[in-house]
Amino acid sequence: MILNGTFTFNGPRQKVWDLLQDPSVLAKALPGTERLTMAGPDRYEGVMKVSVGPMTAAKFDVAVTLGGKEPPERFTMQIDGKGAVGFARGSAAVHLQEQPDGGTLMDYTSDVQIGGRIASVGQRLIESVSRMMMRQALEALDRELRTRIDADPSGS
Amino acid sequence: MSAETLYVNARIRRNEDARLLTGRARFVDDVRLPGTLHVAFVRSDYAHGRLIKVDVSAARQHPGVAAIYTFADLGDYGRPAPLLVPPPPIPGLVFHSRTHRPLASDKVRYVGEPIAMIVADSRYIAEDAVRDVVVEVEPIDAVVDLEAALVAGAPKVHEDLDSNAAARVLQRKGDYAAARAGADAVIGRRFTYDRGAAAALENRCVLASWDRQAEELTIWDTTQAPIPIRNGLAARLGLLESQVRVVAPFVGGAFGPKIMMFYPEELLVPWASMHLARPIKWTEDRQENFYATTQERGQLHDAEMALTRDGRILGVSDTFLFDTGAYDPYGLTIPINTQCTLLGPYDIPNYHSEFTAVFTNKTIVTPVRGAGRQHGVFVSERLLDIAARELGIDRVEIRKRNLLGPDRFPHNHEIMFQDSAPLVYDSGDYLPALEQAVETIGYADLVRRQEERRTGTRRVGVGIACYVEGTGIGPYEGARVTVEPSGKVRVATGVGTQGQGHYTVFAQLVADVLGVAVEDVQVVTGDTREFQWGTGTFASRGAAVAGSACHAAAQSVREKILTLAASLLGAQPGELEVAGGRVSVRGSADRTISLADLAAKANPLRGAVRPGTEPGLESTAYFGPDRGSTASGVHAMVVEIDVETAMIEVKRYLVVHDCGRIINPLIVDGQIHGGVAHGIGNSFYEQLVYDEQGQLLNASFMDYLLPTATDVPPIETAHRETPSPFNPIGLKGVGEAGCIPTGAAFAQAVEDALNIEILEIPLSPNRLFTLIQQAARR
Repeated sequence: MILNGTFTFNGPRQKVWDLLQDPSVLAKALPGTERLTMAGPDRYEGVMKVSVGPMTAAKFDVAVTLGGKEPPERFTMQIDGKGAVGFARGSAAVHLQEQPDGGTLMDYTSDVQIGGRIASVGQRLIESVSRMMMRQALEALDRELRTRIDADPSGS
Repeated sequence: MSAETLYVNARIRRNEDARLLTGRARFVDDVRLPGTLHVAFVRSDYAHGRLIKVDVSAARQHPGVAAIYTFADLGDYGRPAPLLVPPPPIPGLVFHSRTHRPLASDKVRYVGEPIAMIVADSRYIAEDAVRDVVVEVEPIDAVVDLEAALVAGAPKVHEDLDSNAAARVLQRKGDYAAARAGADAVIGRRFTYDRGAAAALENRCVLASWDRQAEELTIWDTTQAPIPIRNGLAARLGLLESQVRVVAPFVGGAFGPKIMMFYPEELLVPWASMHLARPIKWTEDRQENFYATTQERGQLHDAEMALTRDGRILGVSDTFLFDTGAYDPYGLTIPINTQCTLLGPYDIPNYHSEFTAVFTNKTIVTPVRGAGRQHGVFVSERLLDIAARELGIDRVEIRKRNLLGPDRFPHNHEIMFQDSAPLVYDSGDYLPALEQAVETIGYADLVRRQEERRTGTRRVGVGIACYVEGTGIGPYEGARVTVEPSGKVRVATGVGTQGQGHYTVFAQLVADVLGVAVEDVQVVTGDTREFQWGTGTFASRGAAVAGSACHAAAQSVREKILTLAASLLGAQPGELEVAGGRVSVRGSADRTISLADLAAKANPLRGAVRPGTEPGLESTAYFGPDRGSTASGVHAMVVEIDVETAMIEVKRYLVVHDCGRIINPLIVDGQIHGGVAHGIGNSFYEQLVYDEQGQLLNASFMDYLLPTATDVPPIETAHRETPSPFNPIGLKGVGEAGCIPTGAAFAQAVEDALNIEILEIPLSPNRLFTLIQQAARR
């Protein structure tokens, strides 16, 4: 499955970068995340529950490895999720660009292979569920960003 | 056989329906034994990969788990399953046998391949424990596309082979190149024909119970072939065949994939029952059925037909690829059926047909109703339609010009059929069947109204396709017929039954010979303890082969009845008549004895059974035809297509068919109706969709569309009877007739309505919409 898109954050690039590197923030933002912890430098591990169509609350052990870091502009992710109903594995690339209005444009591309029962039964819904989850996560991150900026208007 | 029959050829209701319709029929899952353990399988999520590690330690700790087995636990029992059907002895044939193991060893080759078996107190517990098994797979690029699979450097499903080619076969008749050189027209196209899942109502189920005290293993199995399963399991488990009993009770539809597959589950459940000395049951769920039960899929044909300008076929050349999936335990039955059935009812003097069977990272392919025949029929029927159009000949007329005449039988096609016998048609009368179909569907009127039918948003098209069906192949079946002291008759035979009406048609054959009521004949099938010689139910052979054995056994019992009655009644056997459950001396009403009394006297408590005779009114007989008999027919259909939505409504469906002598027209109608439903599904609704990594994307009935009652129109049938000379009753098979030419007729009807060339089946509303758009742009 190829999932590409853009999203505009209402805040400066460095702050967006910091958010994206903070597992506790990501854990709150990503829908269905039960746990997400730093398992090593540039590696997060955790557990997510995902519902796709008839498959409700399917548990996945998730590992994300970051790479290709060019702070605060780019990074890549290797994603590896495994669960009783199948797997998801692939890669994603994130590019952050400063915008004239002070916001940050995120450009993301991902290619994730979905396999096992979740692919065979949820196939019609996987893409729309993934888009929805991505949208929810990014909006949650943006809200967190606003909260941080409001708490520390100096921007430091 | 005498033409005077009370039951054969009668449209009588089925003996088994009372049990089936009131819920009293026993299916495997209905068998409940105390202390049964239940099974769930850990299956591969990957289509292709190296199996690095299977860690079952956490799952073993799960309360209620009795045992977990991986490949390492199986020892020698983990060796590959047997090759079920060795290829026929075709000169130059190349075949690489690679059969499945009970559990994956070092590689996984399709999604759903079993990796570990969990045995637990309940299925719930077993399923929970599946989640605790850690499977590590290093993925390899999957082999999915048939052409890409054969490109040098493609990943290999079986790395010990040179390529993904599982087999290469060439069959030739005459000299196609010379025929082509002398042709007025050569029509060449690329065709794709995909099939699908059998989707039987009942999924597979195996229950095994090892009796340690009796040292007997009983296996209830949803199989079409209980005797081969018993024989194979006995050999593999180191038991005598007589120590193993396989029972296939009522089976809820099979359509091919429940043949003697020696499926992993079928091998493992009995083995585990012996290890644990407990009854063990596994019942397949619908999702597993999509991955783990064999299916039939696509073929890619590059075919051409050489003709004279007046539409006479000079020859056909066809080169095709056949997707056999990850393993090939069923040999080459499907592509050889395709190769042979392509010749159809036509006089094709020159033929060149070669195919390559291709290993892919998909579920194993074995026959599903039709078993490759529809692929072949599609190619020849489409070529004829295109030739008719290009030569300016009516499509019915071009068929008439090429049909084999009634004086051409037996007709030897000079190539070899799937049963390792030459492809010889026993009998047939094709032209009247075509004329009857043309007349009944109102073809002439539809042709006259072609312009009008092709305008507006709802376009109407008519399709007419001819076919033959190789049926009733050997090697043999047997039956035992017994007249019991109650006067009722018991028939035991080895073939399994999956809804075909065996309890009725075998009873009809026997009732006529023994002069009893059909309700008084009780048939037992599919239990190796009742009858232990035979092969199984497949290739539309039950009636022709097992039915002929029932008939022969009944004839033998009739001899015994006449001999004994003659001595008791003081008459010559020739003076006796057998009717209404009695034997009487013709013309003297008082000299009579009932079959019940005769059966009692045949098994005396005092006196002596004379040397050279046997007690009882019982006989066993076998029947094995030299080769299969060839049924035939014509399908005609009218479709209405909404050009805006690309939805198709089948307005009329007519089948004129000839399966030789008919035992029960009601049952033949039923077989045809079911087959047509399968064919309509195959034409417009069903397709197994794999992604480029070999993931099956529609493994549920939400996404894999079966035709529903509203998609299948009332089906009109007409019976014609050209008896087969290959068995005493003149029978031919009919089990697959309904679905064989459906795709060909459907494509022709769509083409007729829309005036666009159709080179593929299945279509779907989406696909047809795309084709309509493409045609509009041209």
